[in-house]
Amino acid sequence: MSRWLAEAAAVFAKDWRSEARTRTALNTLGLFALTTLVLVGVGLGPLGVSAAGTQVLPFLLWLVLLFATTAGLPRLFVHEEETRTATALRLAARPSAVFWGKLAHGLSLTLALQVIVTPLFLAMVQLPVGRPLLLVATLAAGAFGLAAASTVIAAIIAQARGRATLFAVLSFPLLVPLLLLVVELTRNAVTGEPAGDALRQLLLYDGSLAVAGSMLFPVIWNP
Amino acid sequence: MENSPAATRRRPALPALTLALAALLWLWMAAAIWAAFAWAPPARGFQNVVSSRILFFHVPIAWGSFVAFLAAGVWSLLFLARGRRPRHDLAAAVAVELGLVFCLLATLSGAIWSRLEWGAFWNWDPRQTSIVLALVFYAAYLALRGAVDDAETRRRLSAAYAALGLVVAPFLFFVLPRLTFSLHPEPVINAEGDVAMDSRILIVLVTASTGFTALFFWVHNLAWRLRRAGEER
Repeated sequence: MSRWLAEAAAVFAKDWRSEARTRTALNTLGLFALTTLVLVGVGLGPLGVSAAGTQVLPFLLWLVLLFATTAGLPRLFVHEEETRTATALRLAARPSAVFWGKLAHGLSLTLALQVIVTPLFLAMVQLPVGRPLLLVATLAAGAFGLAAASTVIAAIIAQARGRATLFAVLSFPLLVPLLLLVVELTRNAVTGEPAGDALRQLLLYDGSLAVAGSMLFPVIWNP
Repeated sequence: MENSPAATRRRPALPALTLALAALLWLWMAAAIWAAFAWAPPARGFQNVVSSRILFFHVPIAWGSFVAFLAAGVWSLLFLARGRRPRHDLAAAVAVELGLVFCLLATLSGAIWSRLEWGAFWNWDPRQTSIVLALVFYAAYLALRGAVDDAETRRRLSAAYAALGLVVAPFLFFVLPRLTFSLHPEPVINAEGDVAMDSRILIVLVTASTGFTALFFWVHNLAWRLRRAGEER
């Protein structure tokens, strides 16, 4: 168990070390998010003060987050195949450690993105939040689901042709249920309504994605 | 191959049992279609009583697509767990293709009924959202199969993706439709566990669902054998 944890932590640390050298994912994610944020801000102005804003803006926030992560997370495994380090990684760590290490890396990237984007977004469109704690819980659970689904799909597409398009095609049906749940919860957080069943369903969806992902990953990862 | 003793012995085109099953299926479907139009009482709760008979096809076809996708998932798991035989992978791929046909027919028949009953072909009812996602998921499965050149890698990756479908499908079919208000009529077996339906309507629905499920496995078996014969040649 402790060896497994060490291996997963090593994968996580390795990914951040190579990220610190090139900053490809951070730049892609950050710049993509920034441009879409500016577009939303310029196009809509302070929409958050109106009633329509509480309906539309939570959806737009998640749209920005979703597309920013799908711009960066597919690289999780594509990079390993391109630099031909996948075989070394297969030898160095067991599959489940690779899966959870990569998931942790994707999760930390997504969380970092959210920490920057969400306050900027809320300030730009002047959207007040009725239940800040619910918003934080939704963002965290949503980030986990995004990272879990992206890790599985990224591992699949790394071994196929036409990777960028294929990632969007394969991950879309997995991410839309997640998107519907987090948008619903974010609306509740903004208007100050209680979470209801949606939070439990979101956690259940996160859990089943992670469990199914870690069970199927050895099959996907090992040729 | 032509000189081997097995090839020289003439075999009938179809075994007697298969022919008997096909005849039974033919009679069964004919009875279901007749019952849907003539035997079942009109559903008076709907605005358009005559058009509501499309439901005797819409619901069983939707059920058939669910069975097809479930079968594809099970065959994929069999492929992964039982020695990675290509025939299991082929069975899953054929099931997805047929399931997509069923799913498309269910979507179209649902849209037609929606136009007559609700006034619009499409209104993003939760079940309509779910069926679109199911269509996209299994179309993506076929896209994945097309994007991998190596046959062994293709089988492995697509089996994993179809197995992932087993996790997503319950959310699409059972959780999401209950999340928001739906115009869809109450599911047959609802939360209270009672079946609030005329017994003759229920009998026709169950008969047609059984028929369409059997039809799926019949066509699947034909297509599967045809594809395997084509691959061995």
